[in-house]
Amino acid sequence: MRNIVITPLAPIRISVEAEILSPDIFAPLSMEQICGLDVWQGNRKKKISDLFRVVGDEGPAKPEETALRLEGDFSRVKRIAEGMTAGTVDVTGSVGMHAGNNMLGGKLSILGNADDWLGREMRGGSIIVEGNAGNYAGAGYRGERCGMRGGEIEIRGNAGAYLGEHLCGGNIRVAGDAGDFPGAANQGGTIFIGGSCHLPGAEMTKGTIIVNGKAKVLPGYQKLEIVTIGGEKYQKYAGDLVENGKGELFIQAGSS
Amino acid sequence: MRVEDAICSFCGCLCDDINVEVEENKVKRVRHACRLGSSKIMGHERIRSPMVRKDGELKEVSYQEAYERAAEILLAASKPLLYGWASTVCEAQKKGILLAEEVGGVLDSTATVCHGPSVIGIEEKGLPGATLGQVKNRADTIVFWGCNPAEAHPRHSLRYSSNACGRFTSEGRSAKKIIVVDVRETRTSKNADMQVIIQPGTDYEVISALRMLVAGKGDVVPEEVGGVAKKELASLAEMLLAAKFGAVFFGLGITHSRGRYKNIDNALSLVADLNSHTKFVIMPMRGHYNVGGIGQVLAWSSGYPMSVDFTRQAPYFNPGETAACDLLAKADTDAALIIAADPASNFPRKIVEELAKMPIIQIDPYENPTTLLADVVIPSAIAGVEAEGTAYRMDGLALRMRKLVNSSYPSDEQILDGILESVRSLRSSMSLRGGLKDDN
Amino acid sequence: MIIRGGIVYDPANGIFGEEMDLCIDGGRIVEDAKGEVIDARGLLVMPGGVDAHSHIAGKKMNTGRIMRPDDSRLGTEPRSGVCRPSTGYTVPNCYAMGYRYARMGYTTAFEAATPIIEARHTHEELEEIPILDKGALTLFGNNWEVMECVHDKDIAKLAAYVAWGLRAARGYGIKIVNPGGGEAWGFGSNVKGLYDPVPNFDVTPAEIIHALAEANEMLRLPHSIHLHFNNLGKPGNYTTALETLEALKDIKPSRMRQAVHVTHMQFSAYGGTSWRDFESKAPVIADYINRHNHATMDMGQLLFGAATTMTADAPLEYGNARLTHNKWSNHDIELEESSGVVPMVYSRKMLVNAVQWAIGLELALLTEDPWKVLMTTDSPNGSPFVNYPEVIALLMSKPKRDSEMATLHAELSKRTSLGGIERELDWSEIAIMTRAAPARILGLEDKGHLGFGADGDVSIYNLLPEEVDASKEHATVKKALATAKYTIKSGIVVCKDGKIIATPRGKTYWVDAAAAQADMDRLMVDLQEKFERYYSVQMSNYAVQDVYVTNPKVIKAGIGAEPLKEVA
Ligand code: SF4
Ligand SMILES: [Zn+2]
Repeated sequence: MRNIVITPLAPIRISVEAEILSPDIFAPLSMEQICGLDVWQGNRKKKISDLFRVVGDEGPAKPEETALRLEGDFSRVKRIAEGMTAGTVDVTGSVGMHAGNNMLGGKLSILGNADDWLGREMRGGSIIVEGNAGNYAGAGYRGERCGMRGGEIEIRGNAGAYLGEHLCGGNIRVAGDAGDFPGAANQGGTIFIGGSCHLPGAEMTKGTIIVNGKAKVLPGYQKLEIVTIGGEKYQKYAGDLVENGKGELFIQAGSS
Repeated sequence: MRVEDAICSFCGCLCDDINVEVEENKVKRVRHACRLGSSKIMGHERIRSPMVRKDGELKEVSYQEAYERAAEILLAASKPLLYGWASTVCEAQKKGILLAEEVGGVLDSTATVCHGPSVIGIEEKGLPGATLGQVKNRADTIVFWGCNPAEAHPRHSLRYSSNACGRFTSEGRSAKKIIVVDVRETRTSKNADMQVIIQPGTDYEVISALRMLVAGKGDVVPEEVGGVAKKELASLAEMLLAAKFGAVFFGLGITHSRGRYKNIDNALSLVADLNSHTKFVIMPMRGHYNVGGIGQVLAWSSGYPMSVDFTRQAPYFNPGETAACDLLAKADTDAALIIAADPASNFPRKIVEELAKMPIIQIDPYENPTTLLADVVIPSAIAGVEAEGTAYRMDGLALRMRKLVNSSYPSDEQILDGILESVRSLRSSMSLRGGLKDDN
Repeated sequence: MIIRGGIVYDPANGIFGEEMDLCIDGGRIVEDAKGEVIDARGLLVMPGGVDAHSHIAGKKMNTGRIMRPDDSRLGTEPRSGVCRPSTGYTVPNCYAMGYRYARMGYTTAFEAATPIIEARHTHEELEEIPILDKGALTLFGNNWEVMECVHDKDIAKLAAYVAWGLRAARGYGIKIVNPGGGEAWGFGSNVKGLYDPVPNFDVTPAEIIHALAEANEMLRLPHSIHLHFNNLGKPGNYTTALETLEALKDIKPSRMRQAVHVTHMQFSAYGGTSWRDFESKAPVIADYINRHNHATMDMGQLLFGAATTMTADAPLEYGNARLTHNKWSNHDIELEESSGVVPMVYSRKMLVNAVQWAIGLELALLTEDPWKVLMTTDSPNGSPFVNYPEVIALLMSKPKRDSEMATLHAELSKRTSLGGIERELDWSEIAIMTRAAPARILGLEDKGHLGFGADGDVSIYNLLPEEVDASKEHATVKKALATAKYTIKSGIVVCKDGKIIATPRGKTYWVDAAAAQADMDRLMVDLQEKFERYYSVQMSNYAVQDVYVTNPKVIKAGIGAEPLKEVA
């Protein structure tokens, strides 16, 4: 494994766009070349080494043999691990928006929280967040018909609103609560919510949403039988019928 | 002198039948306009001169000095925010976009605090709309959802909607069905045939229930949705289906309640569904007279109608990230140019506190609470009264605003041009001195 | 400026691939000039491209942008050099519109459909498009005043209205879209055919089209009526196409040009009774066009991939949206029109799309005379204009068509005759279909050719026409056409090796036609009533003011006007 550690030199105020923080970009480069990569802070183009200390094993290596370790607070650094196909990115703190954007493979682990649009339009690989995720985890871009299409997102804390909006595939697991409209316009993905949420599966046409806590159910859902999943009893619903949807929604029986 | 068919520069109705009497270059009388429009056209106390804050106090300076100070602020910033734009004309908006490109800033309009969610809803579903004249000539069923034109757009009803007479609506109000959906009784609902009071934050569910009822799937709908009995919703659905031409107008009551853009998204689908049965259109009730214009100009210039981030030289759009409120909430901007807007009164307090921390340039004819925070204040001519220009009505129709009186103030466009020139010359002198200094 | 040694294709002047020098001075082609010398030895040289039908500006285009941030994010290019930023693929921003046309060697493009009342918006966008010369066709086919004149059989008053409308819109010519259907859509219905009366107006689409054609010729407009047929986009609609063409046979053109230009014929050459037995009727249509001389058409070629459909045919768009379950924008325009915008993806796997793809090509290849058929994609309806090089490569290469067809549905060969067509167009024919013919069809005297006095618009491609076999080397052809070596606009090099290096402001054509005063007076009585009772704006705020067209090129026409110089 080629290990590379990246640490902010100072607290960051204006957010930094750093889509180059990915094993795919780092792997073929020497440490010197890596330090010369560009990031943007507002309208200023900077060298990665202007803002971060970058140390690690000399390259090149293959992406799958490359491990990035982001130490410190990256909550104002956006687009970490964008489009990564292999390798690992471990973040000891929190990350800014769009972490794991368009991710295709590999593993992104975040010990802190993730900001909005975690794993946007993700197609493969896995993301684990120990803390909370913001809005739009696993969702798509504005106006696009597909959000996440594949891969796994696991959020051990809570998720914000619009979780998995326009989900077209893949799995999202939230241990805590999700906000409003999880799985809106779901077209085939699976969402598990350990806690509660509001109006799940709006305009869902296909796919599955399981809610262990409470949830308000939309009027376009037809109440079906009580089913048992993993030893727990759930009220099953079919919908969203406003879109002639064939999605399945399960809410912990007796909680809605 | 009399100016006929002047265009009112207050609200998105953009009434174009205003008669104005001008004596000695002063507006003496305004006819046909509503109370809101008249007072805008009549005007009030103005900012006298450009000002720059020195030692904590605003001091009167020349326009040139104000432009230069503004240029310094903009060029020193890593992420300047250029905000406002809804109450000025398109010609100024075009200049503003060019300025945002050249200084690498984020340009956002006041739509972000009014119909921003509507735009996002439209991005999900499209907008089945019409010009207001189409509604006037044809609509026999009109729904006002979360809006109160009787207060906010006083002439809407007579010119375009409930009380308008047109080719197929010659009987006016008496042959129309007016429906108001809101969380409380309003002045608009007094003129309604049906009033539906819903629990706050339940718009989405209520619309879903209506979609089910319209599609003949009422059996699935629960007995009560959003505090409204299914029976009542069923009769509302029947009224909608009975329309020959229906129009839905919606306002901040639905865009800013729980559900936000999803509410609009669902309302747009309801209207699309209704078109399988009859004819229906839908339209946001835009507030500021040219908030439509900034959306149009931005869209044709950058591809996006609001919240456009030019910091990386290519337009990037992602409301939730690039809107003025988002940037301020995250303290992710370091200077602001505010034009024809008053964020100090309209933004949440926490955001105003953030705004207060950074250098602010204000361009406005009038003093307002934002002036108290500003470091550079540049008074402008009132667009649509003292300066000509283009504005887009709430239905997207472009009209040319007339100039009613002469003014010694420069127009917004001229001011932005002045700042742009200063930016260019400052930048070239800076590059002569060896590049931009990064002070972040 | 002197362009040295190019292999020049200028069909309007009878030049079909001759090595010659071109001189430009004062923005025009001249006999002799000094100055910059451009080395074009052996390279393909043609007049600047002219697009006679493209959706480039106005409410529909902007609606497309606003509802499609997913599209706007494609094709993003930062601001650099002389260029403002570009965005979008099917719905590019104004800057990209100019740069991308210029990059392909095009210098002129006409916006296809503008309602009079919304023309101000169209011009705001046209003004923002760099480099190109442009114009906008004006919609008349669902207009109340038009239908009332038609009902009263008052062609003189109709002509007066057309003249007034073109002036109010700063428009170039008469566009007719699904006549009567747009009005019917005002109450959610449509007209079913040429002889189906328009609700509340007691006229038929046939009468509207015929009367507007008569008015067009009465006013001696440079362009003919520009027609989007009824029933467009529906299986079996080729009969409507033939019926409509037959109904216009008696129109006598007032100038040396067609009596009707049919736009995006691909969408109107459909056989079958449903999408299930859908098939091409392009051979029948092409045969008709071959045997008659009153009509021209443009292809409206469809290509696989993303598109955004946008048309004044609003009921069609509602159908599209419901069929594809996609976003739907609609816009009804008081007293004048309706319209819609729906995103679309044409798929290789869909037999229907494959047949549509084949129909456009069949139309172009089976029409013998290239002066009768223009290369278009009805951008962005069939595909965005940046894909013109793909269309041209297909027209020039049978092997390319065959290899494409091999990837498509097996059933395709039974639904279209394309596989059996051997014809491969040559550079002269391409120059006609993309330059000479669109200019002649539009009536643009100074465009589409390189004779003395013509506009100094020239495109030079990195391709040796005498050496490259377009049939075999179609990839080379496509690549060369996508990025011109030089695009010269009014004597200024605007694009070099695909890079935009200058962005002069183009001009906007509009037609100022004179009508008889007595007819104009009668018309004013009608219009005053319309504005008092029906329009939501005052008459005095209606017409486009001069400030919106900063570089106008006004073409005079109409009754009593100087006779127009005939196009070569
Ligand atoms: S309704 Fe609006 S535009 Fe009309 S006069 Fe009143 S404020 Fe002005
Ligand atoms: Zn078209």
